[in-house]
Amino acid sequence: MKYMIMTFGSAEAGLAAMGKEWMLEMIQFMKTLDEDLRKAGELVSAEGLADGSQAKTVRFENGIPIATDGPFAESKESLVGYWIVDVDSEARAIEIASRIVAFVKVPIEVRRVMDAPPDF
Amino acid sequence: MRELAPQVLGTLVRRYGQFDACEDAVQEALLAAALQWPEKQVPDNPRAWLVTVASRRLVDEWRSETARRRREENAAALELPVQAHVADHDDTLTLLFLCCHPSLSVPSQLALTLRAVGGLTTAQIANAFLVPEATMAQRISRAKERIKSAGARFDLPPEPERADRLRVVLHVLYLVFNEGYMTSSGPVLQRADLTTEAIRLTRLLHTLMPLEGEVAGLLALMLLTDARRAARTNVDGSIVPLDEQQRDRWNTAQIEDGVALLTRTLGTVPVGPYQMQAAIAAVHDEAPSAKETDWLQILALYEVLERVSPGPVVTLNRAVAVAMVNGPRAGLALLGTLDNDYRMAHNHRLEAVRAHLLELAGEPVAARESYLRAARMTASLPEQRHLALRAARLA
Repeated sequence: MKYMIMTFGSAEAGLAAMGKEWMLEMIQFMKTLDEDLRKAGELVSAEGLADGSQAKTVRFENGIPIATDGPFAESKESLVGYWIVDVDSEARAIEIASRIVAFVKVPIEVRRVMDAPPDF
Repeated sequence: MRELAPQVLGTLVRRYGQFDACEDAVQEALLAAALQWPEKQVPDNPRAWLVTVASRRLVDEWRSETARRRREENAAALELPVQAHVADHDDTLTLLFLCCHPSLSVPSQLALTLRAVGGLTTAQIANAFLVPEATMAQRISRAKERIKSAGARFDLPPEPERADRLRVVLHVLYLVFNEGYMTSSGPVLQRADLTTEAIRLTRLLHTLMPLEGEVAGLLALMLLTDARRAARTNVDGSIVPLDEQQRDRWNTAQIEDGVALLTRTLGTVPVGPYQMQAAIAAVHDEAPSAKETDWLQILALYEVLERVSPGPVVTLNRAVAVAMVNGPRAGLALLGTLDNDYRMAHNHRLEAVRAHLLELAGEPVAARESYLRAARMTASLPEQRHLALRAARLA
């Protein structure tokens, strides 16, 4: 079963608040994590997104779609990156997320990808 | 060609030990055959050809320096003790048990079984499970390492363990079938191949263990379920429930096959859950129309199933039969007994069945709410659309 593991926040704010040491450690941590997931045969994909300040949100206004600057959610709640993992159980997905949380210390969302076969 | 895969692999493992290296070599030989045979002629003895090519790959691998070093490091762990002379069919069976080794995670069991026993390529398996090929390759090589470190031998499991190990094998085949049992447009279409492959492998297992009632039962269940495949989805990929399916689109040959198999099996062996589920599928398949379904018989079969293999999902299904025999209120009362069952807390089917029974009972408002709740809980997209559509019809 596949799960999406999502991190939120503003890369910009993170960059400003955390020191250089932390950033280097974080980069190493992410590299190791991806490598571990790949080796375990669990990684489907992982991407980081450009900062929410770079996002455009397209809304339906006055009968037409209009693009405006900025993310849909508030900057600090905007999606910044995700992993899609294919794992044995929800418990395993939560274990992966816990490893990330223990490092980044901000909340991580774990959500099932709709890939279940329908019932007989 | 693919039916030769487990035989060739068995021969190699008996000759050289080293399941993991042999498995890679056979995979390469199969790829070579897929490239060469269509252009040239298929060799007179395709099996001998595959054994020769795979053996050569294995020897090449041994000669390479890194492999030698690795071999020395792992010398002790690599040796799989093997018996001297055993027929091919035992090899295939041994392979199935090995690939469904209890030390492996379920996704690994599925992947390894499809490759080593099914003879599918890593790319095909990756495609079917919608993961990158590199991920699937890692999963397979990790699974082989784990089998090795678990100290598994290339032998049939000892008699006292065999029933438990067979249950795992059957569950893996069932899951492969289940994964494939959806036909839709777009990228999911190829998943239907998994259904075909599950039936092929279960049939193979049945020829190897003809006296195992549950193997026959699982094969019958697959045949009787898959027989409805063409009628089960609309052209747009949406689900058609059993009672609305065009029954003339069911595969009658496959139904006859499944029913005959079940008739030969039932009563000759101890009854088990797959046989009972197949028997229930057979009653549905033999009804000329949804209205003419013999619900009394289905209810009786669910009562037997609940005795053989009790569990909330069986109770849930029995509730549908109860509703059809004694009215929706009786079914809803039985469903109520599952409300506090923690095993059903995140199962959308309880709400989906409740919604259906509420609809039958003439309570569209409550039914609609249950459909929507079920739609939120399911992890299947076609099912979510189906449930949302049912809810919308009641608005």
